[in-house]
Amino acid sequence: MDGIERRVGQSLQLRLSMWLAIAVLLSAVAAGIFSFKAAFHEANEIQDQQLKEVATLVTAENVDSMAAGSVHYVPEFEPEAKVVVQKLGNVNTQRLLDLPPTLPDGMRTLTLGNREWRVVVRTLAPGIRVAVGQQTSDRNEIARNSAVATLIPFLVLAPVLVGVVFLLVRHMFKPLARLAAELDVRPDHDLSEIRVTGDPQLPAEIVPFLVANNRMLARVDQSVALQRRFIADAAHELRSPLTVLLLQAERLDVSEMSTQARERFTALSNGLTRTRALVEQLLTLAHAQEGNGIEADLSPVALAFRRVLEDLIPLAQARQIDIGVTGDSDIWVPANEADLGAVLKNLVDNAIRYTPAGGRVDLSVHTNNNQTSIVVEDTGPGIPVDERARVFDRFYRVLGSGQSGSGLGLSIVQTIATRIGASLTLGDAAWNEQGGLRVTVTFPRIDQPAELVDSTYNCRKSREPVA
Amino acid sequence: MRVLLVEDDWMIGEVVRDALKDASCGVDWVRDGQQALSAVKVHSYEAILLDLGLPKVDGMSVLCAIRASNNAIPILIITARDAVVDRIRGLDSGADDYVLKPFEMSEVLARLRAIVRRRAGVAAPVLTNGTISLDPATHEASSLGISLRLSGREFALLQALMIRPGAILSRTELEDRIYGWNEEVESNAVEFLIHSLRRKLGSETIKNVRGVGWMVSKGG
Repeated sequence: MDGIERRVGQSLQLRLSMWLAIAVLLSAVAAGIFSFKAAFHEANEIQDQQLKEVATLVTAENVDSMAAGSVHYVPEFEPEAKVVVQKLGNVNTQRLLDLPPTLPDGMRTLTLGNREWRVVVRTLAPGIRVAVGQQTSDRNEIARNSAVATLIPFLVLAPVLVGVVFLLVRHMFKPLARLAAELDVRPDHDLSEIRVTGDPQLPAEIVPFLVANNRMLARVDQSVALQRRFIADAAHELRSPLTVLLLQAERLDVSEMSTQARERFTALSNGLTRTRALVEQLLTLAHAQEGNGIEADLSPVALAFRRVLEDLIPLAQARQIDIGVTGDSDIWVPANEADLGAVLKNLVDNAIRYTPAGGRVDLSVHTNNNQTSIVVEDTGPGIPVDERARVFDRFYRVLGSGQSGSGLGLSIVQTIATRIGASLTLGDAAWNEQGGLRVTVTFPRIDQPAELVDSTYNCRKSREPVA
Repeated sequence: MRVLLVEDDWMIGEVVRDALKDASCGVDWVRDGQQALSAVKVHSYEAILLDLGLPKVDGMSVLCAIRASNNAIPILIITARDAVVDRIRGLDSGADDYVLKPFEMSEVLARLRAIVRRRAGVAAPVLTNGTISLDPATHEASSLGISLRLSGREFALLQALMIRPGAILSRTELEDRIYGWNEEVESNAVEFLIHSLRRKLGSETIKNVRGVGWMVSKGG
């Protein structure tokens, strides 16, 4: 119940519908009461008129016979509104109306015994006066019946009106609902303006709000850009001093030094290499966020595989890891070469780093309904299921992995994947008994280009060679 | 070899100059674009190492000015600008090669020699990756002190791999190199040639990359 109350309290649409419905119901009730009273009063007026007319029919000549007819009326048994005619003055115990003879002419309501009567008194001739009466309870019943009949339209129309109010309000709020849905499906990095002029049905009241919102979005966009620019600039500025350090180290490397100095120099040199890698990864991340300015494009996976292997085979060989491609990789994916290269390089680099010596890393491509997935599998320790969501965080490293990577690799991959509309999933490698991580990058559907492979990309016939 | 070094960063300039001297190059070091342009007019260099972010006249303008004066001197850009667009612009404006900071001096020297050699029109230099070397003139390969002549197809295959050590070539690409247009491709020819090259030059000479192709290692 609490939840519903809160929903009604927060939703303008529900609040509007509710209050309009309450207003409709209240006016229906007020109009009903008024109409009931008016009809009741009107019915009584008409009956008074009728009573007067009956009274005018009574003359000195016919008064006795009319009074005689009324004598037998027993109000308890006859529910019909009976008009009683009776002469005033001469005392008779059987008389229905016990009226004082001095009653002046005119119409009035009298209480006689436990009944209420509406009575008209007329003087027919000197000494002959007549009273024509009717029980008010009977009259009221008639009046009430006719008044109740006037309430029926209100009873029927009020619920219909409430329904109409709900439908109308809902209809009025449709452009807003549409706008909300549109904003909801926006990707996280999309800070572009909300279209204000696009929907002619969009209420004018909402436009200033949207314009203000757009201004805020622009400010946020600017500050996000500034922040990114700062990361890129900082990494960029680090390059020059780093160049100096690396070049000096390179010169030092070839000079004579004692064993102890050599040992320390090696440690220093490793630190420099690591710093260089971190700066490069920071720049790659900055570029991954901004996009590299190259239009979205199709790239051949086979070529990208080859490039990344050419880059990383020295590392794989140093770590005695058997790295290769399985199956046919002659497929195009919707990503430009730089993005695809950065994604593969980081995934394969991770796979090589986290796989123990003598292990294996496999790259492959799978297609299903024009949807292409690139899979990188290794025989490393894998990533525990509860850590899989966190490894995309910047600078997060799986504890105890003993690796000295930048901690940015998967974050870069994730950033690029999000930007180009690809999805990234971590799972267990197919060779389960050896453990291992399986990373799948699934690209959006595309149609493969009609004339495939240019000769430079041609590695179609790469049958498993005899090594 | 006399080299003009254009670099405004004092520390980088110093160490690059010293490293070039160590490599027996004569070095003139200038710190802005204007000085660079006047130096090029006065002296003749065999190569220029050009930074892009320079005071007074920026590196790209220096590059364009040199090329506009019909000077074909080999120019190697060294820069911290890593955007692909910058790289393409540099090469389009007439730079011979492009090295990104932070770099290693050995790489700069290797590229410097390569562009100078290319400009000098030395055809078919001896190819080497540090362990194996291949002389296109004599079809002679040497590895670990052994030197021997290769057959035509063995040479063609090894040359294809040695042009860019570290590059992986697929079976189709290797077949294209060792067979002419009208020749019938024999199955297993590539394996056969690689087997024989390995026997002659050592089993680690040519490496197989599972599912992709073959390569000779970069830098041994």
